Amino acid sequence: MTNCATLNEPPFPPSNQTGTEFYFPTKNYQHITKPGLTENTIREISDLKNEPKWMLDIRLRAFRHFQLLTTPTWGADLSGIEFDKIRYFLKATDEKPSWDDVPPEVKETFDRLGIPEAERSVLAGVKAQYDSEVVYGSLRKEWEKDGVIFLSMDEGLKRYPDLVKEYFGKVIPSNDNRYAALNTAAWSGGSFVYIPKGVNVKMPLQTYFRINAELSGQFERTLIIVDEGAKVHYVEGCTAPNFTSNSLHSAVVEIFVKDGATCQYTTIQNWYKNVYNLVTKRSRVETEGQMIWTDFNMGSKVTMKYPGFILAGKGAKGETLSMALAGSSQHQDTGSKAIHLAPYTSSNIVSKSISKDGGRASYRGMVKIAPDAHHCKSSVICDALILDGQSRTDTYPTNIIDNNQVEMTHEATVSKVGDDQLFYLMSRGLDEEKAKKLIVNGFIAGLVKKLPLEYAVEMNRLIDHEMEGSVG
Amino acid sequence: MANIKMKKSFTAKPQTIILDSSTDYVIKKPGNYIFELVTPKTEISISMVAKAKGEENLETEILIHHLAPEIKAQTTLKAVGFDSSKISLKAKILIDPECKKTKSFLTERVLLVSPLARALAIPDLEILTDDVRCSHAASVTKIPEEQIFYLISRGLKRRVAEEMIVEGFLKTDH
Repeated sequence: MTNCATLNEPPFPPSNQTGTEFYFPTKNYQHITKPGLTENTIREISDLKNEPKWMLDIRLRAFRHFQLLTTPTWGADLSGIEFDKIRYFLKATDEKPSWDDVPPEVKETFDRLGIPEAERSVLAGVKAQYDSEVVYGSLRKEWEKDGVIFLSMDEGLKRYPDLVKEYFGKVIPSNDNRYAALNTAAWSGGSFVYIPKGVNVKMPLQTYFRINAELSGQFERTLIIVDEGAKVHYVEGCTAPNFTSNSLHSAVVEIFVKDGATCQYTTIQNWYKNVYNLVTKRSRVETEGQMIWTDFNMGSKVTMKYPGFILAGKGAKGETLSMALAGSSQHQDTGSKAIHLAPYTSSNIVSKSISKDGGRASYRGMVKIAPDAHHCKSSVICDALILDGQSRTDTYPTNIIDNNQVEMTHEATVSKVGDDQLFYLMSRGLDEEKAKKLIVNGFIAGLVKKLPLEYAVEMNRLIDHEMEGSVG
Repeated sequence: MANIKMKKSFTAKPQTIILDSSTDYVIKKPGNYIFELVTPKTEISISMVAKAKGEENLETEILIHHLAPEIKAQTTLKAVGFDSSKISLKAKILIDPECKKTKSFLTERVLLVSPLARALAIPDLEILTDDVRCSHAASVTKIPEEQIFYLISRGLKRRVAEEMIVEGFLKTDH
């Protein structure tokens, strides 16, 4: 089983045009806004969705923030983004492009990853998502019995406006950063999840299961509320390359973990290599709650993503497991933020990055321990593997410690594949490529183990495939 | 390019020190320094120990810049914060392309004795070549209560016990 969220709407560029930036085919859409973002576009989006007035007000305020805020001076080079050329709202028709339009390198990747035939067409966007309803419908019934809400954000806003109003924008305010402001102004799609008190959702909730809705989009907005003592694992993304004609993906994910609740959020991101992926993810964790971010970044041109947790209640825990693979002309600027506000809180961040063929992988992180947050523990470990002389790796951690009753440690290492390791494996009869693959897979093995089984299998295959340098 | 950017990011004008032979360099006074490691096959050690007392704001920012291959470098920064002092340690290892077989390590250790003392630790790495072994470690801790308990139970006063532990922290190699 492959569980992948793909765009329901991506008529990707024909293969002879891949790599053309800001290429937006305009067929197959019921509704398209003009390029560029103005107040009128926002009113138009809000109007089309029949949103309540308070949401329009939030959007308009965010738009003003977007105009006032500037592009960050640190991190990746974002000068290639042309905001005026982006279409901020597209509504797909039911008409899908045909399988023949799928670029050959994608088909090859599907083969290599061993993705079932039926799912390939969905992944490539040539079949509508709701074809899978038969299979996953029974799971949905079970959740509904427990009172679990799992809807698209647009539907969530329609059916549970009070819940949305209470939590929307409360952990990531619209003026948090420029891209959060842009998302708040133009959001569309994403998930709305509510887990009632004490409910343990045993099967991971996957965006793939959510039916009849835009699965993801340029400006997805996800809101997850895990009530007291409840437990959930949410999975988004997929290992197969994710095609989109949109060259800017700017999502916001807000998570509220209540007393004693647990939330694990897994992202597997393999955007097409023309995409700027600028995502703001943050969760607020109350007393004895636990938040786990598992974050795998392989695709995109530029990724800037720092999933964070605000440990606001006594004894709250946060964990981030992050993996980044930067290939030719890619810059993965990823990391994590841990904000300790309450005593006895602990955070644990593990980051592994691989850079090859001139790619650049950076870890950028922050640990902040507030004056009142005594008896906190924080551990950050970053390991980087650099595979050739053209590639680059950086580590930029910031640790701000405002009281002395803490244990904070940070470690980072950078290394290449050791000649002795290669020699050992090759003397056992492996050729150099196989030996390298084995070492790289070993390097990330600890993180891959945290994934659901089918993802773990695909992840290993994907790494093998990437190591051959044949994925476009 | 990265180098130019880094120089700009210093809060005050840094002092540039060229280390062209194997040395043990001791930073006597907190401040802003750039160390340029220019001779291949040298072994360099850079260290600093500092104490911050009262309202003091101890700031140190250093760049260890590898410009030649096969250099082994070890940088150790240690600081102890008393009273309501603030310690800020920023250090960066920058390894230029073509600096093969580099080994460079950076350690930042901060001991906060008083509950009002604060610390900022930023250890950065920028690696532009592949054949390197490079790592950094940073920690911020207080004096473990069990160590104090041990010394007090041996008849020392608490203040003396604290002093002994601080001296030990500053003297050890890591």
